[in-house]
Amino acid sequence: MQGPVMPADFLDRFSRGNTVCHRMPARLKIVLTLSVIFVSIVLPASYWPAQGCLACLVFAALSLAEIPIAYLARRILLILPLVLMTALAAPLSHGFASGWETAFGIVFRTLVAFLAALWLVNTTPFDRLLAGLCRLGMPRLFATLLAFVYRYLFVLFDELARMRTAQRARTFGPGPVKTAWKSRVQLVGTLLIRALDRAERVHGAMCARGWRGKMHSLN
Amino acid sequence: MHITDGYLSAEVSIGAGLIAAGALGLSLSKLNQTLSLRTVPLTGMMAAVIFAGQMIKFPLLAAPAYGHLLGGVLAAVVVGPWAGCVALALVLFLQMALFADGGWLAYGANVLNMGVVGALGGYAIYSFIRARVQGRKGIVAGAVIAAWTSVIAGSTLFCIEFALSHPDGSLDLSMLFTLMTSFHSLIGVGEALITGGIVSYILAVRPDLIQEPLSRRGAVAGLGRIVGTGAVAALAVAAFIAPFAAEGADGLEAVAQRLQFDALEWKPWAPLLSDYEVPIPGVDYSSGFWQKLSVSLAGVLGTSAVLCMTFAFGRFSKPRLADQDAGPSHAG
Repeated sequence: MQGPVMPADFLDRFSRGNTVCHRMPARLKIVLTLSVIFVSIVLPASYWPAQGCLACLVFAALSLAEIPIAYLARRILLILPLVLMTALAAPLSHGFASGWETAFGIVFRTLVAFLAALWLVNTTPFDRLLAGLCRLGMPRLFATLLAFVYRYLFVLFDELARMRTAQRARTFGPGPVKTAWKSRVQLVGTLLIRALDRAERVHGAMCARGWRGKMHSLN
Repeated sequence: MHITDGYLSAEVSIGAGLIAAGALGLSLSKLNQTLSLRTVPLTGMMAAVIFAGQMIKFPLLAAPAYGHLLGGVLAAVVVGPWAGCVALALVLFLQMALFADGGWLAYGANVLNMGVVGALGGYAIYSFIRARVQGRKGIVAGAVIAAWTSVIAGSTLFCIEFALSHPDGSLDLSMLFTLMTSFHSLIGVGEALITGGIVSYILAVRPDLIQEPLSRRGAVAGLGRIVGTGAVAALAVAAFIAPFAAEGADGLEAVAQRLQFDALEWKPWAPLLSDYEVPIPGVDYSSGFWQKLSVSLAGVLGTSAVLCMTFAFGRFSKPRLADQDAGPSHAG
């Protein structure tokens, strides 16, 4: 079956660079990111100097990692409406007379934590992130499952792209809303059916290669 | 949809994380007993399907916005509650570790709200309905109602977590409930529509893939299901009752006065808020009952939409293939 093939880095696009941040050990990056997020949440929002220092630290790390500003801005713009809505619940409870500090604290801390997480996931490829998490004590079975999902995501995305191409070739346009929903429901349904059949075949192949419930890796 | 870090306090995040870890551990040990070596391929593939399926955008009626599948109930209906719960946790982890969708410390809360409530709680409701309505109708009705209820229950849980994170009285719980319930009632209708559609499609094409409900072994299994159904149903009902229950408190009246008084401040936000609630032109919002009105309307609209769907899918999910009993046939 020929068709569009997903590039290997379409899920974590910037994580394979070669800056100082990319070369740091994954374990160190995970611990650093988690502690920045934790400190930002534990500190009261009114400690502006400390919160500002955290934000500066995150910005410095992001620019060291050479992550494009446009990408960061797009990601922030996407989550900002929801964050603002949730944060507005506090001033709304007081008829917009007070509660602004709580709201501002929520927005600020959310952005700092979000940028820190973006730094981590965009400087660490998924396999190294997983290895780092394993050494930090993540259960083996969960890590094995994650590795399996990551591997088959690419297969399923290819399958989905093929099915969409075929669907587009058979139709002239998206059609009215009802038709669009029906075709998308069938798309997901077919993907599900094919994937479960594939899981059966993969299971057979794994057993044939001596699968005993534990994945072995080179690192 | 995902909770990012910064919404919840550290204590609430850790508490939710402990509950989610317990539920995940239980699910994994149940899976090891029933599926053994099949656990990894089956659960992993289900997670990959949900991850990929969430990329499919469903157009909304008039808005330029899109909705997508959440998938908790779908996974639970197809591969069972334990595998469904683990699959959702895997999806949430990948979204966090690849896209930074959802916070690292809030991961436990996300798993609790979407995975545990969606798959385990949703499955409890699904099997509760399926035990009472026979045949395909029971499967589709169970999936539709479970999908809607679990979305509402998840949003209630988020409200509770959010309120627990800000205990200094800076939040009016009933206001939060009003916003979240109205919003999620609509999201839930979308989720129910997608889940019902996919389940009836699978029933028509490959009915052998839908799991039989876990057999009723002893009183404990039945008790667990009843407790699960009750808990999720209670959460969903609480979403609609909370704005009314707080009426006795001074909070609402104070808000109403402030809203009337600060008319200038109120106006700029009005277009923002109308995304959340069912807009009712000509109604005096400032009198304080708009909260109840919007929640009631959202509840009534949501419930009737779900009931209509139940009947519609029940009628149209007749088997389409004549040889559907001939056993599994590979789709491609």
